[in-house]
Amino acid sequence: MNNLILEVNDVAVAFGGVKAVNGATMSVEVGSVTSVIGPNGAGKTTLFNLISGAIKPDSGTILFQGFEIQKLLPHKIADRGIVRTFQGAKVIKRLSVLENLMLGAQNNPGDNLINFFNPRARNAFEKQARERAMALLKQVGIERFANDYAGILSGGQRKLLDLARALMAEPVMLLLDEPFAGVNPTLVEKLLEVLHALRTEHHLTFLLVEHDLETVMNISDRVVVMAEGRVIADGLPNSIYENQAVVDAYLGTRKLNS
Amino acid sequence: MTAILQPGFWVFILTMSGIYGIFTLGLQVQYGVGGILNFGHVGMMALSSYTMAILVIAHGFNFWIAAASGVAVAALGGAFLGLTTLRLRGDYFSIVSIAFSEIVRYVIFNSDGLTGGSQGSLAIMPIGDAYPSYTDTWDTILYWIRDHLTPIFGEVADRDMAMGILVWITLGILLFIVSRVERTSWARVLRATREDDDVPSALGKNVFRFRLQAVIIGSIIGGIAGIYWALQVTLLSPDDFLTIVTFYAWMILILSGATKVKGLAIAAIFFGFLYGGTRFFTFWPFSVFDASQRSYMRIMIIGIVLIVLMIRRPQGIFGKREEMVLE
Amino acid sequence: MAEFVQLLFNGLVAGSIFGMAALGISLVYSVLHLVNFAAGDFLTLGAFTTFYLATSQHLPFVLAVILSMVIGVIVSLILEFILWRRLRRSGAGMLALFLVASGIAFILRQSIALTFGSDSRRFDLDQLTTYEFLGAQIARAQLIVLLCASIAITGIALFIKKSNIGKDMRAYADNASLAAVSGINVDRVIIATWTISGAYGALAGVFQGTVQGQFTNGMGLDLLLAILAAVVLGTIGDAYGALIGGFVLGVVMDLSTWDALAGGIPSTYKPVVGFAVLVIVLLFKPEGIFGVRARKI
Ligand SMILES: Nc1ncnc2c1ncn2[C@@H]1O[C@H](COP(=O)(O)OP(=O)(O)OP(=O)(O)O)[C@@H](O)[C@H]1O
Ligand SMILES: [Mg+2]
Repeated sequence: MNNLILEVNDVAVAFGGVKAVNGATMSVEVGSVTSVIGPNGAGKTTLFNLISGAIKPDSGTILFQGFEIQKLLPHKIADRGIVRTFQGAKVIKRLSVLENLMLGAQNNPGDNLINFFNPRARNAFEKQARERAMALLKQVGIERFANDYAGILSGGQRKLLDLARALMAEPVMLLLDEPFAGVNPTLVEKLLEVLHALRTEHHLTFLLVEHDLETVMNISDRVVVMAEGRVIADGLPNSIYENQAVVDAYLGTRKLNS
Repeated sequence: MTAILQPGFWVFILTMSGIYGIFTLGLQVQYGVGGILNFGHVGMMALSSYTMAILVIAHGFNFWIAAASGVAVAALGGAFLGLTTLRLRGDYFSIVSIAFSEIVRYVIFNSDGLTGGSQGSLAIMPIGDAYPSYTDTWDTILYWIRDHLTPIFGEVADRDMAMGILVWITLGILLFIVSRVERTSWARVLRATREDDDVPSALGKNVFRFRLQAVIIGSIIGGIAGIYWALQVTLLSPDDFLTIVTFYAWMILILSGATKVKGLAIAAIFFGFLYGGTRFFTFWPFSVFDASQRSYMRIMIIGIVLIVLMIRRPQGIFGKREEMVLE
Repeated sequence: MAEFVQLLFNGLVAGSIFGMAALGISLVYSVLHLVNFAAGDFLTLGAFTTFYLATSQHLPFVLAVILSMVIGVIVSLILEFILWRRLRRSGAGMLALFLVASGIAFILRQSIALTFGSDSRRFDLDQLTTYEFLGAQIARAQLIVLLCASIAITGIALFIKKSNIGKDMRAYADNASLAAVSGINVDRVIIATWTISGAYGALAGVFQGTVQGQFTNGMGLDLLLAILAAVVLGTIGDAYGALIGGFVLGVVMDLSTWDALAGGIPSTYKPVVGFAVLVIVLLFKPEGIFGVRARKI
């Protein structure tokens, strides 16, 4: 038994002629923060879609905690503890912000119709979950919108909601697709603290896609670089700068500037 | 004209409204909560009413067992429809559902031996019977109620009034239960699925299961409406279950605002008057037309109301505009 | 053998009609994202206007058919201008489109009933002449329908493939916003779509009326089931798929009554077979016969 929580082996998927992910191999260690970087269209979001089961790979395997998950339906994968956020954030517009969060609660007895006849259990769970949801909303700073339709939130606020909702699900591993893009810097600091606390207290594992290299370098234990559907480099944050392939494919002039 | 002045006319309209209300409540669960566009709902009503009628008339079943079986068959119909098509895109479900109810009607129409075929359930009843045997049990209840109404309403109290009251009590109970169900987290997940599958499934919700359950529950409620339908009309005919009946329910649902149950009863009454009441528009200028022409015009009016409603007030009378415009 | 030929022929005739009607629905869906539940009643409208013009007004039959197609187009375009356009602009959802389409269906059907009553009508055509072919009885009227429908179908298939408007239609259906910014005249595409759907609906209605011999105002509605099944079978939104779906369904439905197949099913259950085919295909190939796996996100 190794300490890898996620292993992606030679996974490929094509849409029509576009090989969005083309034989990607990577892994994530338990309790680490791993960042995926790469140019636009490199296949990062598609990789997340594959891991979370939203799309099925044409070939390759994905192992989570040693179990193959590439054939499982998304909700089964979520049940195993992988929860994701969406690039650009997805909120259920016609549910309130609080209700959006409540969707994240796991093992809610009220999800099961049989428990319609067991209001005690339902209500007790709801009450507890609602308290947790409010605390999370407070942490991400949108608690004052709790009872508004999520559809009224701004783009940045939707990201915060998406993140809080994922946390509500108490994941083992969190996939965050550009969680900080469009969120104001002070709040990013605060969110990073929240995530850090989760990591130390709950041994949460993070896999995130992020374009801001400074943030990536600061928070990541490992960095995976993708380009044209492949993983072209995988290593400690600093080693990335030394990798010629990465410089050619992605960093380009940016390295010279920094 | 005189018919309008008769209390029996009002009782009739209200009873039919109540049955349509129950029927629509099934759609409400499916669409109002789950965003599922079912255009074959009338098929469930057909399945339950015919199952019940056949079991009692031809096989001598106890009415209650037969009624429960009828509702169960409607639930199975919903399960079949859901299992085959709910995994597909929403518009496929709509198309296949409409085909489903037409097939049910078609089979009823052509299975003479089983259902009486085009002649309706009269054909499977023993010769000489004016009423199907399944009304016997029900009538004892109705007459019991009537006897208790007579002191209050005097001569006006009759079997039909008792029927209307039972229908509305049932609708009231079902409305209450559904409004309670809609406050559970089950309904919250279902409301989420009407906008998006990815979010709930990424959070561990089996979207298909929730939708399937919604379709089955809606079918059960549609099945209950079918039992009342059979009791009310007493002679079933395949023509009772034309696709247009599903659209009546859609009209009620849209009028009521679709997402909230409270407007449903009022919308059902409104529809009852529009549909049943116009039957008595025999005065000028309607007197120019004969009875069948007037019945064509009634359906045209319903078509026009549907269109105008969708263009002018898609949120219905009681719906919130707010919910419709959120982007 | 004779029976097989007979059923195959009947199936092809029915299939050509399903295909023509399904084509209209599929085109409208691909361009306007609207399932036209009223399509069946446009068939009825075509049959009744032809009946009126040819039988009551004594116009030559072919002229009556052409005028009926024109009327079908005009009605479709009027609806586009007074209803569909508005609904699109107000961002109406799937339900609103479904319900308006069915509202139109009710109004059309009842107007026809109001004008012509509920009696059945027949065209003043030679329905009796038959030819013998491999032991099967081939009615001349059916043969003409099959020939005309085949010409119409080939014509439209070529039109969509080759003509500029046809290319624009396909481009628009593939990616509306891209097509709009790349200078395609969207109005022209939409008008062309309704024109094809209106004209072919009317023509299919005349064909169906001819094949049935007698028809009532419920004709189109009775057919809608098979037409929708053809649309879904051929992958909704795929015009060629709809044509093929129509033929497949027509042939399967008729052949299912063949004695050699364990006695065959009673012919009154043909529509049930159509539905069963639809469900089976959806179970194993949810995207229709020709659909590519759609990918979301
Ligand atoms: N559902 C889809 N259908 C067709 N092509 C897709 C689909 N999803 C992704 N692609 C294509 O796959 C490629 C990779 O896309 P992906 O979204 O994974 O990139 P990304 O690395 O996340 O880019 P960005 O940094 O811009 O978010 C792109 O060329 C994209 O167009
Ligand atoms: Mg991306």
